[in-house]
Amino acid sequence: MTILPDWLTDNNDCRELEAMLRNRSPESLETMAARSRAMTLRRFGRTMPLYAPLYLSNYCSSGCAYCGFASDRTTPRRKLDEEEIRREIAAMKQLGIQDILLLTGERTAAVGFEYLKRAVDIAAESMQRVTVEAFPMSVEEYRELAGSGCTGITIYQETYDLLQYEALHRWGPKKDYLYRLATPERALEGGIKTIGLGVLFGLSDPVTDALMLYRHARHLEKTYWRGGISISFPRLRPQTGGYEPTHPVDDHLLARIILAFRIAMPDVELVLSTREKPSFRDGMAGLAITRMSIASRTTVGGYLEGENSGEGQFEISDSRTAEEFCQALRSRRIEPVFKNWEPAYNGPSRNTLPCS
Amino acid sequence: MDHLQLAAHTFSSRLILGTGKFSSAAVMLEAVKASGAQLVTVALRRFNREQLEDDLFGPLSELPGITLMPNTSGASTAAEAIKAANISRELSGSPFIKVEIHPNPQHLMPDPIETMEAARVLASEGFLVMPYISPDPVLAKRLEEVGCASVMPLGSAIGSGQGLASAAMLSIIIRESSIPVIVDAGLRAPSEAARAMEMGCSAVLVNSAIAASDNPAEMAAAFRDSTDAGRRAFKAGLMRESREAVATSPLTSFLGEQS
Repeated sequence: MTILPDWLTDNNDCRELEAMLRNRSPESLETMAARSRAMTLRRFGRTMPLYAPLYLSNYCSSGCAYCGFASDRTTPRRKLDEEEIRREIAAMKQLGIQDILLLTGERTAAVGFEYLKRAVDIAAESMQRVTVEAFPMSVEEYRELAGSGCTGITIYQETYDLLQYEALHRWGPKKDYLYRLATPERALEGGIKTIGLGVLFGLSDPVTDALMLYRHARHLEKTYWRGGISISFPRLRPQTGGYEPTHPVDDHLLARIILAFRIAMPDVELVLSTREKPSFRDGMAGLAITRMSIASRTTVGGYLEGENSGEGQFEISDSRTAEEFCQALRSRRIEPVFKNWEPAYNGPSRNTLPCS
Repeated sequence: MDHLQLAAHTFSSRLILGTGKFSSAAVMLEAVKASGAQLVTVALRRFNREQLEDDLFGPLSELPGITLMPNTSGASTAAEAIKAANISRELSGSPFIKVEIHPNPQHLMPDPIETMEAARVLASEGFLVMPYISPDPVLAKRLEEVGCASVMPLGSAIGSGQGLASAAMLSIIIRESSIPVIVDAGLRAPSEAARAMEMGCSAVLVNSAIAASDNPAEMAAAFRDSTDAGRRAFKAGLMRESREAVATSPLTSFLGEQS
């Protein structure tokens, strides 16, 4: 039987957050927006660091019921070879991208650690910042990845609801809830500087998931005090696999969750991807969000092929070009920032052992 | 003339501007001009030689009468800051380096131990080291000992707008320091810059309060004036606050007594 750690279930630290999430009055949303906007402006100013994802491969060994890349899907499998990675990166750089997120599915024989590390090496040759969203790794593997120039790891628990988690992750390594839960700690211990957390809204009760996500973030902040935290807010969109979310989250609730996180965690980076439509992205950019993806392709090889073929991991709702999106930010008096990192700061962060 | 002296460099302005957080490079440049600042800090991570539009270094280096002070924001260790300082000097040609080391990217508090180490190395390599520190009087003296050009204690946390929350510690640093003390971070209102200058700070560094304003150039001008006013007041000598009540029966009447 899986027993969740106390820090994930103890409610002492998050009563205000819970109150903000449970109150659904339009007035309270407006009040939260005003507060969040002021806090974001004060702490982060009028700039928006931008990044773009590169899907290296859609091979996967897991059976996530909601994912278009799950191993029982008929999606054609593909991985980029080194030459293709270089060409994709060159195409991304043409768009102005200097901050890249490399993605894979769960570890397979075709796409394992060595492949991923090589991809980080290649990306770090020309990108200013490289982060990874792939499979859970060991402390030693994370340390190697950091040495290659990977500064951040994104790893979503997807849902913190244990029963739902076990039902949705039908097979494969991802089925182990606690192993995945401990992944951010292994990454930080291995010297990765920033951890991206998130839940995939739509899989379970959003308020419960949001509260557990918050507790996870606070636990990491307190235990690994040097670690950077960022939080993303992916929401289940129509997937290639045709999965219908059991707990759909509408725009109002998603906005409320994001605003509540800004108020509860004033200094943490909040991220929004192109899963969301332009009006939502532009609106949240000025209110709470401090890092965004841009001009994204979610298919393997998508930057050279030029368009999303419908076989990506998820549907993109904001398909504006880099220039169009930057223009939208500028019209809201927000400066798009392509370089917000310096490779001189790459390498394993030392002293990331827990303080206890 | 009453100038800010940093090693062999003199500046008539005592307002230093941070250049991040602005809505565009153009708005930032307008604010720098309006502020009258002659010294501005720019993060190495915002030097962008590939993407012209978000690069801060290029436009600033073309502004006449401005000395650049690159900063190491983003570095979490002394080693990273030292590497960044060398790259910055190579790129900018400036002898100044604002050592900014925050191991935790959330609260951006400076690490005193790593800062001390970076300052020691960089000062010995000929940099004019301007360390961003917590308001710790002992650390300030230690940094002076290793040859820093100034110390830059925070007024309050970066971007907090809590003003001179550290005033009591700052006043000790100012009293004991033989090098310029520059309040860096936390100032929200021009009156707080004036107060810092009245306390005897040599200069103030402001970024968020100007960048986040609806009218950055106008706010920059307001900070220029208040910094100047505070300095003039300090030089003129503030009237002493009356802190002691006068006893109705004199406390020293015994002094003339015969036996």
